Amino acid sequence: MSYEMIALVMFSSMMLMLFTGQRVFGAIGAVGAAAAIFLWGTGGSDIPFSSAMKLMKWYPLLTLPMFIFMGYILSESKIADDLYKMFHVWMGPIHGGLAIGTIGLMVLVSAMNGLSVAGMAIGATIALPELLKRGYDKKMVTGVIQAGSSLGILVPPSVVLVLYAMIARAPVGQLWLAGVFPGLMMAAMFILYIAIRCKINPALGPVLPPEERTVSLGEKLALLRAGILPVAIFAAMMVPFVNGWTSLVESSAIGAMTAFVAAILKGRMTRNVFEVSVRQTLAISCMFMWIILAALGFGAVFDGLGAVRAIDNLFTDQLGLNPWMILILMQLSFLLMGTFLDDTAMLVIVAPLYVPLVNELGFDLVWYGILYTITTQIAYMTPPFGYNLFLMRAMAPPEISLRDIYGSILPFVLVMVLALVAIMTFPGIALWLPDYVYGK
Amino acid sequence: MMGFARRYVRFVDAVNYRIGRIVMYGIFFMVGVLLWSSISKTFFLPSLWTLEVAQFAMVAYYILGGPYSIQLGSNVRMDLFYSNWSDRRKAQVDAITVCFLIFYLAVMLYGAWDSTAYSFQYSERSPTAWRPYLWPIKVIMFIGILLMLLQSVSELIKDIAKIRGVTL
Repeated sequence: MSYEMIALVMFSSMMLMLFTGQRVFGAIGAVGAAAAIFLWGTGGSDIPFSSAMKLMKWYPLLTLPMFIFMGYILSESKIADDLYKMFHVWMGPIHGGLAIGTIGLMVLVSAMNGLSVAGMAIGATIALPELLKRGYDKKMVTGVIQAGSSLGILVPPSVVLVLYAMIARAPVGQLWLAGVFPGLMMAAMFILYIAIRCKINPALGPVLPPEERTVSLGEKLALLRAGILPVAIFAAMMVPFVNGWTSLVESSAIGAMTAFVAAILKGRMTRNVFEVSVRQTLAISCMFMWIILAALGFGAVFDGLGAVRAIDNLFTDQLGLNPWMILILMQLSFLLMGTFLDDTAMLVIVAPLYVPLVNELGFDLVWYGILYTITTQIAYMTPPFGYNLFLMRAMAPPEISLRDIYGSILPFVLVMVLALVAIMTFPGIALWLPDYVYGK
Repeated sequence: MMGFARRYVRFVDAVNYRIGRIVMYGIFFMVGVLLWSSISKTFFLPSLWTLEVAQFAMVAYYILGGPYSIQLGSNVRMDLFYSNWSDRRKAQVDAITVCFLIFYLAVMLYGAWDSTAYSFQYSERSPTAWRPYLWPIKVIMFIGILLMLLQSVSELIKDIAKIRGVTL
């Protein structure tokens, strides 16, 4: 059997196994292990375990449990609800202001943790009921919260970028910096969209009633104190890191500790919050680690086949496509897959197939990491598979139906695709900051 | 046979539950080691051992915690079709596909055995300044993968019981 054929068989049996609904890591791991033994006999049977050793030696992976822990503390203890109040009072008096404030809230929450779960929890349980009470259009605000919370994986720190870095063997620090401007740009685009919608149809986002608007300046300023928490957590992580006192991993531990201490000081670290955050951190970390472990084993076999070079040859030499056309085709297929695959499955596909191909074509892997993350964000939001959709269903107030949730995301997905195109056309949006800091 | 299966499931689940409940506090151990690492680096001499101790802790954390995460049901599945099936149907499909998981873990276990034996035989050390022996972590990984395997078999038994309509 030719190597291309084996690669194809491996890939399709992986997809088949995934669709049976077996645990993702088992499905991928089994196909990888079987292929290794089939190809290289007893020598190949060491591959699954040796990827565990490879995983251990990859230091930045330690940030993963730290950020997961931090995210759960933030969302479970609800120490961020003052933040919402701050935006409420400051942004309330303008049309659509509360929705715009919610995007701002999401950006701050994103800067404190690396998953979208925390933003989702804060948005759906704190912001959403308030927005509905004030007569905001329910379709629009559901979309706002879903789109806003997805920023969590693009604005540093980002867990998705850590996982991508592991697979692409790209530096995490540069990837994180590369996420800053695309994240802010996307937030700005969301805000612009909301502002325009509310300008055309003010009924979508009414201003606060006058009695709520008359807040004295002193009180207004006092509310700004809520902003100290995210700034403090972000500074505690980033200042030592940027000054070179600590490594990325050590900074993530400082961040986890700061969030933990902040929750205790605010009296929010109840027994239940503690139990849930510690247990869920183990559960989610294990889920990610075992999937990466299996994907690495699978990827090692795939690498050994030289399948990527064969695919590259097929596209460039035989079909005569130029690298950009291939990249656009890849991105289109990836977007399409994103609508029906979930983010973990995308990670598994990107690992052996897309990343080496992008490298082979001569593109920057840091830049591609940002494209990958935005596509993952879209995957998070689009039905039928979307992590955020299910979370939203579970957390939102009962008057929000599944149809509202599905209907709410379309404009935001379009905005995200626009951002994707912008970053593809102008790689500088992502690459300027890391190049500047690391002095390329 | 029934009695044995019941005892096996109870025993394995209980052991893995206890181990998981202990291992989950490992997050504080990792935070502690890394904090010490940054403190010692900033104010005293950097410690040589922190990096690797943290890495070993992380590996122990996810490998030993794995069986408990299976019990918690946190390992994601692609549920495009899966979520629409009845419980019985799910159990039927799982009973077949979990064998693939068991196969994967068995291959892992074989590799772990090989690698651990090698570490003992040649007193393998990590190629860093601290130069720790590698066998302790490999023994932990071997045990963890074994527990994972036992847990998967327990899942298989539970699925079969569900298909037959027996309660364990």
